[in-house]
Amino acid sequence: MEKNADWKKAAQRLGMYVFIGLMVLTLIEYAVSIYLNSTVGLFITMLLKSALIVYYFMHVYRLWREDSH
Amino acid sequence: MSATTAEHAVEHAVEHAHDAHSHVPPYHVQLKSNRMGLWLFFISEIFLFGALFAARFYLWHVPGVGQTRPELSQELGLLATTVLLVSSYFVFRGETAMEHGDRSRFLNSYMMAALLGLVFFVAVVVMEWNVFGLEGSIAGIELFGHLGIDDGVYAGVFYAMTGMHALHVITGVLLLLFVWNRGRKGDYSPERHWGVEGCALYWHYVDVVWVFFYPALYLIGTPWH
Amino acid sequence: MNFIRNLLLGLWYILTSSYIKGLIGQALFTFLGFQFLNLLLPDNLSEFSLMIGAIIGVIGFLLFAGVLTDWLLWIGGKETPLKHGAREGRPEWTRYLGPDVNHKVIGIQYGYTSLFVLLVGGLFALIFRLELAQPGMQLLDYQQYNTLFSAHGIVMIVSILLGVGAMLNYLVPLMIGASDMSFPRLNAFSYWVSIPAIVLVLTGMAVGGWDTGWVGYPTLSLVGPLGTMFFLLGFYINGISSIAGSINVLVTTATLRAPGMSLFRMPIFVWAALATSLIQFTATQTIAVALTLNLLERATGLVFFNPAQGGDPLLYQHLFWFYSHPVVYVFVLPGLGIISELLPVFARKPLFGYKWIALSSLGIALVGFLVWAHHMFVAGMSDTLRIVFMISTLFVAIPTGVKFFSWVATLWEGKIELSTPMLFVLGAISVFLIGGITGPILGTVPTDLHLHDSYWVVGHFHATMFGGFIFPFFAGLYYWYPKITGHMYKEALGKLHFWLMVPGFWVMSFGQMSAGIMGMNRRYADYDPALGIETQQVLVTLAAFVIGWSVLIMIYNFIASARTEPVVSMNPWGSRSPEWQIPSPAPEFNYDVPFEVVGDPYDYGLDKPYIRFQVVAGD
Ligand SMILES: [Cu+2]
Repeated sequence: MEKNADWKKAAQRLGMYVFIGLMVLTLIEYAVSIYLNSTVGLFITMLLKSALIVYYFMHVYRLWREDSH
Repeated sequence: MSATTAEHAVEHAVEHAHDAHSHVPPYHVQLKSNRMGLWLFFISEIFLFGALFAARFYLWHVPGVGQTRPELSQELGLLATTVLLVSSYFVFRGETAMEHGDRSRFLNSYMMAALLGLVFFVAVVVMEWNVFGLEGSIAGIELFGHLGIDDGVYAGVFYAMTGMHALHVITGVLLLLFVWNRGRKGDYSPERHWGVEGCALYWHYVDVVWVFFYPALYLIGTPWH
Repeated sequence: MNFIRNLLLGLWYILTSSYIKGLIGQALFTFLGFQFLNLLLPDNLSEFSLMIGAIIGVIGFLLFAGVLTDWLLWIGGKETPLKHGAREGRPEWTRYLGPDVNHKVIGIQYGYTSLFVLLVGGLFALIFRLELAQPGMQLLDYQQYNTLFSAHGIVMIVSILLGVGAMLNYLVPLMIGASDMSFPRLNAFSYWVSIPAIVLVLTGMAVGGWDTGWVGYPTLSLVGPLGTMFFLLGFYINGISSIAGSINVLVTTATLRAPGMSLFRMPIFVWAALATSLIQFTATQTIAVALTLNLLERATGLVFFNPAQGGDPLLYQHLFWFYSHPVVYVFVLPGLGIISELLPVFARKPLFGYKWIALSSLGIALVGFLVWAHHMFVAGMSDTLRIVFMISTLFVAIPTGVKFFSWVATLWEGKIELSTPMLFVLGAISVFLIGGITGPILGTVPTDLHLHDSYWVVGHFHATMFGGFIFPFFAGLYYWYPKITGHMYKEALGKLHFWLMVPGFWVMSFGQMSAGIMGMNRRYADYDPALGIETQQVLVTLAAFVIGWSVLIMIYNFIASARTEPVVSMNPWGSRSPEWQIPSPAPEFNYDVPFEVVGDPYDYGLDKPYIRFQVVAGD
């Protein structure tokens, strides 16, 4: 039971970290647009953000990892 | 050879006929199918949003200038993006809570995500599209967009991309509410909550689409009109 | 007395079927939706109101037909177990009148709808072929002609997509040993949503028609009559059916295969189904975008394509062909799969190069995504792009060639048995060869510049469609008819059908191509007698009627044969495929005893089994 509570906390903390990462990337994106006006730079932030969401929020690995629910 | 096995099969057919239950795939197989089906749907939708994304680069390219974009309210864009990211976080929070059996936190988080989704929808349709033709500002920041329906390809692409995305936002909000309602009635368990998971996946996907659309509409290219 | 009672009861079942209820719902919801939006929106958006009304009408169809019931109950928090069989107290055939979840029922629903729509589209063609038999205008005016050839195109495409759905739905779960598809309700939805789509297209003909052909190019589509809107919308709704259906096939194949059935031990048709579904579930979305933008520009005045307002019509063509080239592989891949499936059965020999055939289907699907702009060589693209797309187009010949060589090698020294399905398979190969070798001429820029939009294109396209879909589809219908119904079709009528249709098609095809070379345009209602193509035009028209009659013979054959004695043999063709090792028609859940795959599927003439039924523990 205690173990479950620890896992739960860890999982929720991970979500918070990912969210903070996404917000930071969004601000970087904004700065890249204003100061550099670089399309390539913006494509890089887009890909980073989407990778974060797809991996951590959408846990895409569950498609090939059978044991998790 | 085949004749004997076939006869064998017929004998069994009589014994097992109309036993529907034995033909239902076990839960873990159905879960795998559900996940795969939903992800295939996401891949399918990549082509929908990808085609719109490509159309934006095709139509907003001005020869001699390069990529351009309409003049949009940067504050509104950033606000809408943040709202959607926060709601995505809440959905993650809710799904994780369900996995660990924390029903009330799951319910609160999903309701919160749905409300934030609605805020996003209002920000796009009421404020950015300005369907009611309103005016107003807070601290010098304009609250309502100026891009009219007759502003050529800039209006066309902008309305098409935000509109297609907003349609997905609204279906996502409805899904969140449906799942919330079923969760309220006690339908999901840490072992079996495909509805919660599928809905979360869909909502994150809507967010991923906006991750691409936001820079494409608001940030890439030089302002042009 | 009993007869009359049954007749009246049957009529009552039909009148209260989901088809009729759905149509009522569609009409009602369209009307109400339109009225409601009309009140809300200003006058200049009345076409927009009608468009949204028509979309609401589709939802009305689905609601009234009962397709959404289970999902609505789920939202309300009720459990909805799958229902099997006809409604209590009703005969078995009434299952086909409503949203049934069994894949075989849905497959058959797809099948008869496809044939019905095929007859409708064929009728359109016969009418405008009569007009073309002589120069000058005799039967139709220009607008009617334009509407008919446009409707012929889209209605036939819908028919083919339904036919593909029929084959995939009926065969894939049976062939892989599954009891049903992964998502049975979604499967029913995929079929039923195509009915309001057809209704929309036909409505378009009634409200002014349209003259863009099936491609719907702007700017013509932006200024065309109201029918254009209904056509674009019907096309769009049909795409939903394609996407949902193909995802279902992909997931079913991935998760519900029988034990031991590795990818390279699947029946070859399942490979074709996979490749087809891969194209369908991705490419369909891009035409959805093309059609959406087109509809929006028509109905709301947003600008995408109209160059006068800064838009670019080429964008539509890119989006359109990104779907519409690959979709011809959606049409032909299942057909080619049936050819590969049937050849070894009737040649009593192993299929030559199984892996190569399997992979060539995937190859065709992938290359198909890289060639779309060969339809735009004269549209004003850059020269560089023209060369690139010419080269990629010619690459299609490689995987297609692999299939041809494998078929010939499979036939080589086989003990060929010429019953009707095999005749149609051989006819398909001959016709697809015509389509195949006339294609590179169009894919090559210098020759295409002359042949573009000519009747040569019509000839080429009909040869690929008949060779790649119609002939193999008919072969499949004859071949699986005993499986589906438990009766045998009449062989003599089947052979008559074949010997009318094959020469008929050859004449039609060569007539079309020859008229094209001599200057007949693809879409013109009339032509100059000085072109000297009157003989060809008369021949093509006559051949079209021969083909039409031969198809009616097939349909008569199927209806009449259903009343004959049941088949004696469970496996009349001596096939190794699992679906022939169980009774016909197949039981509700297909395999009451599960099987396991222990060998290769096409080892005809070798004494090695393909499947083995498992011994159930405790028996
Ligand atoms: Cu093509």
